[in-house]
Amino acid sequence: MSEIDFEQIEGMAIAQLKGDLDAANAATVQRELAEALGPDAPKLVIDLSRTRYLDSAGIDMLLRFSDRLDHRRSQLILVIPESSQLHRLLTIVGLPDAIAIHPSLDEALAGQS
Amino acid sequence: MEAQPGASSSISESRRDHVLSITDSGLAYMSLEDMLSELLERIRDALEVDTAAVLLLDEDRGVLLARAARGLEEEVRQGVQVPLARGFAGRVAAEARPIIIDLEHADVVNPILRQKGIRSMLGVPLQAEGRVIGVMHIGTLVLREFDEDDVALMQLAADRAALAIDDARHSETRAVTAIMQRTLLPEALPEIPGMRFSAKYLPAGTGVKIGGDWYDVFQLADGRLGFVVGDVVGRGVLAASVMAEIRTAVRAYVIQGHKLAEVVSMLNDLLVSMGRNRGATLSILAFDPDAEELEAVVAGHLPALVVDPDGEPRLLEQKGGLPVGVRAGNEYEAHRYPFPAGSRLLLYTDGLIERRDESIDIGFQRLADAAAASTRHPKTNLADDVYHALLDEMPLEDDVALLAIETIPLGGPLEMILPARVNVLAGMRSTLGRWLGAAGASEDEQFDVTLSASEAAANAIEHAYGGIESDFTVTCEQEADEVTVTIRDHGRWRTSRPPGGGRGLSIMRKLVDDVEIHSDEEGTVVKLTKRLADRP
Repeated sequence: MSEIDFEQIEGMAIAQLKGDLDAANAATVQRELAEALGPDAPKLVIDLSRTRYLDSAGIDMLLRFSDRLDHRRSQLILVIPESSQLHRLLTIVGLPDAIAIHPSLDEALAGQS
Repeated sequence: MEAQPGASSSISESRRDHVLSITDSGLAYMSLEDMLSELLERIRDALEVDTAAVLLLDEDRGVLLARAARGLEEEVRQGVQVPLARGFAGRVAAEARPIIIDLEHADVVNPILRQKGIRSMLGVPLQAEGRVIGVMHIGTLVLREFDEDDVALMQLAADRAALAIDDARHSETRAVTAIMQRTLLPEALPEIPGMRFSAKYLPAGTGVKIGGDWYDVFQLADGRLGFVVGDVVGRGVLAASVMAEIRTAVRAYVIQGHKLAEVVSMLNDLLVSMGRNRGATLSILAFDPDAEELEAVVAGHLPALVVDPDGEPRLLEQKGGLPVGVRAGNEYEAHRYPFPAGSRLLLYTDGLIERRDESIDIGFQRLADAAAASTRHPKTNLADDVYHALLDEMPLEDDVALLAIETIPLGGPLEMILPARVNVLAGMRSTLGRWLGAAGASEDEQFDVTLSASEAAANAIEHAYGGIESDFTVTCEQEADEVTVTIRDHGRWRTSRPPGGGRGLSIMRKLVDDVEIHSDEEGTVVKLTKRLADRP
């Protein structure tokens, strides 16, 4: 069973995570993302609005994936609602300095078109 | 012309070699097919006859089927069937004694015997465990009067064949039984934090170790946990095969996302349409841990037993539907019951409580008493406790299947012992979140403590073990407005890397008020403390 729902909108890849991202599934999610993107990676939006818990293994994975996309002159964008506990956590660990975060999918798409 | 020699006929000295050829232990190492052919060949030589054949009884259909033949190979190829008590072989089987006939004056069902020009025949029954399982017969193309020695030697050969056939059948049944038992019961009960499963499956009798009782545990499409216990009428491989069909059908309908009541009525229609003619009773339940609720559909099955968190047992008696597999178009109803943390559920089949010459109410009472007396001890479980209390002193009269589901009580201190595998993390967070909610923590506080504990647990799993299957313990305690979650692993501390790694530790330190780490030869203990400021 896959951990993400994947679709392409206007040349952008959107991956919606179905649940938590943690030490148990970080490697699987990374592999599924890499497979879905293919070699000529477009910009990738990972939608975390359905995700309740994201642990350090998940955060490490997102940072590594973001670096990888940077190298290919592409970009990783996260969608996380501002009122969520996840947003609070990621602010505490300083993730917004490294990865672009938008509060909704619409804003992520609008901000990039 | 018929002869009925005495059972004690002696075998003349001249036949000694022939007896030895038939009792040759080398025959035991052949396949059944080869052994029967070889045995018939040796009989043909020994008694100087033209034909020899073995027919086996199909008890369900009441006919004898040709299984092996010499000089009469057509009989096997054409699949000759002789009804019991009719014709020559049919009479030998029905009367369970040797019979000698002269074909000119006899009633013969099988036309091949006449076409071949057989004149005289001798038939003896094949018997195993006192029951006729077939017939062995010989024939000559010239008229012959079989004597007592002929009959004695034939009976010796027939006993030899019967033993081999019975043996082969038993080992076949044993193999089928072993495979069915392996495939029909869940491989392992799930390991879900905050829940404990235990089960027992005991087929009655000493022969075939499989019956029509079963239990099953699975995940529903909506994420709830599903449990089934049921009982197909009858015993043995036939009942077990219907049970296998039911088990598969239930899982198939459940995966498709049907409601429980629909699953049961679809199953009923399926069984009726397949013409299985075997009724079955079953209970199917779904447990929602977040809503702390059970949903149950019953088809003629005994009521499930619930033990409330305070230890009070009660039967989930509901207006149940009829057993499945008897009549198409039955409707089934789902009922819902609160199932708060700390509740225990016991599903069982009638063999557990029913006793001959006793009212079933006494059985229910005995069950309720045993379940209430079962304490929550890490070394025992509800299924074992109830089984020992009810059946230790009793001969098993019927199959028994037992499935127990225990939820861990929230509110007081909570201890979870979990296998050191990353796939337990999500369930651990869910249980911890509910415990914190019960302790009065706000949504934010639940998140902070749960995620910190998850980090510590992930570290216990990642760093403290060297590939050996091990476990770790999560303990939750509350004192006034302070909650403490302790993650303790028992493995040897192998690396110099600090527990919590880099980012994990910093997340813990930022989310809870105090992180205490102690590491020694016994293992590592991480103690997380948070004051519940938002507590009402």
